[in-house]
Amino acid sequence: MAAPAGPRPGWSRRAQYSLFFGFLAAIVGMIVGLVMLTLSLVAPTAYAGVRGAALDATAPLTEGLADISSTAKGLVSGAGDYWDAADQNGALKRQNTAMRREIVKANAVIQENAQLKAALALREKSPETVATGRIVGSSFQSPRRFAILSVGSNSGIVNGMPVRASDGLVGRIVDVGFTASRVLLVSDRANVVPARIMRSGDPVIATGRGDGTLDIRPLEVGRNPFVRGDIIITSGTGGLYPPLVPVARVIRLDDDGAIAVPLADPSEASFAIVERPYEPAAMKKLTDDEGQ
Amino acid sequence: MVRAALASKPMGRQPVRFADFVPAASVIAACALSLLPIVSSSGWWPNAGLLMLIAWRMLRADAWPAWWAAPMGFVNDLLTGMPLGMSVTLWTAIMLIMDLVDRRTQWRGYIIEWGVACLLIALGGWVEWQVAALNGAPVPFAQVAPAAIVEMLAFPIAAWVVSRIDRRRLGR
Repeated sequence: MAAPAGPRPGWSRRAQYSLFFGFLAAIVGMIVGLVMLTLSLVAPTAYAGVRGAALDATAPLTEGLADISSTAKGLVSGAGDYWDAADQNGALKRQNTAMRREIVKANAVIQENAQLKAALALREKSPETVATGRIVGSSFQSPRRFAILSVGSNSGIVNGMPVRASDGLVGRIVDVGFTASRVLLVSDRANVVPARIMRSGDPVIATGRGDGTLDIRPLEVGRNPFVRGDIIITSGTGGLYPPLVPVARVIRLDDDGAIAVPLADPSEASFAIVERPYEPAAMKKLTDDEGQ
Repeated sequence: MVRAALASKPMGRQPVRFADFVPAASVIAACALSLLPIVSSSGWWPNAGLLMLIAWRMLRADAWPAWWAAPMGFVNDLLTGMPLGMSVTLWTAIMLIMDLVDRRTQWRGYIIEWGVACLLIALGGWVEWQVAALNGAPVPFAQVAPAAIVEMLAFPIAAWVVSRIDRRRLGR
């Protein structure tokens, strides 16, 4: 097939002009796009209102579809639960008694801990839940890792708040609409979490790799402090993320750090909890930084 | 008249109403696929809006006036949550590049169109990669390359869908 030579308007002056002005308009559109892109790179908060409104307009659709798919999944897995139920029941009973013994031990430790803290006159700060929502969607077409959360500023959510699930840390809020918000997941490259190894307490830095895993680097260079299976927990340094929240499990060591998978899988976690930043000053600093 | 009588399809079929707006509407619908409740840990799904845009422009130079790419890109940015302005710039640039390609290519065929589409998809992936890096997320190349390859392999599907929609809207 011979190549088409673009739209040929023929001899009509009017058609020729409209084609030419269309071309000019495309160039103008590209320049406008470049200006918008520069603005959204330099001042991320400039479009907060527009992005929030877009979230509000689109999230209900995503939520509805998520409801349908979770119902369908529930029917399939619900039927599967009946398979081999007697053996499962026995195993669960044994597990239950073992757990109960562990809980008694843990309660004793908690009490002892409280007494020791009281002796040291440490002030206890319990994390405050702002809202609880569901993760309904994600940025599955882009190298960035974002998720859509089904609660927004009507539940008191503000940009920068940390988000966690029962299994571990999920990320932090970056865009807020009235009824929905966007979460920067811990597996995103731009999300840096100050953390430590639970086994030894060594301070580390967890950075997302963009593919669902985390890159963990020790703060002290020289030796590799990781062991396969190590649990990484937040240290609370920086004040944004509360301390002692599980973040990831180490699956592989590399030369001076380790690769880990997040403990809270956003696709599995049914509920995500939005909390107030551990130190309010950290939030102020974060919003100041983004406002620049 | 004679040709119409010899054709096997029923006579009297005509373009659907608002046939001029069907291409743009199908691109917006493809952008809206990003609203599906898929929670993925990697971003390897093809960018459906971009694929439909390239496929339409490949099939017809006059699917829409070139400048429509800017507002369509804006809608894509809003729906997918990309930095505002990225698709506006990229999509209009693709329209202008395709005008040049139309003038330069002597011959068009399946392989050539797929090749040009692959180059445009690679350009789109590169822009997205660089914008992410400027935004504080310098993703390694090994993690953006698979997404681009998946997108290139998905292009024939988009091209097929577009050709079906085009036949339908023109009543052929």
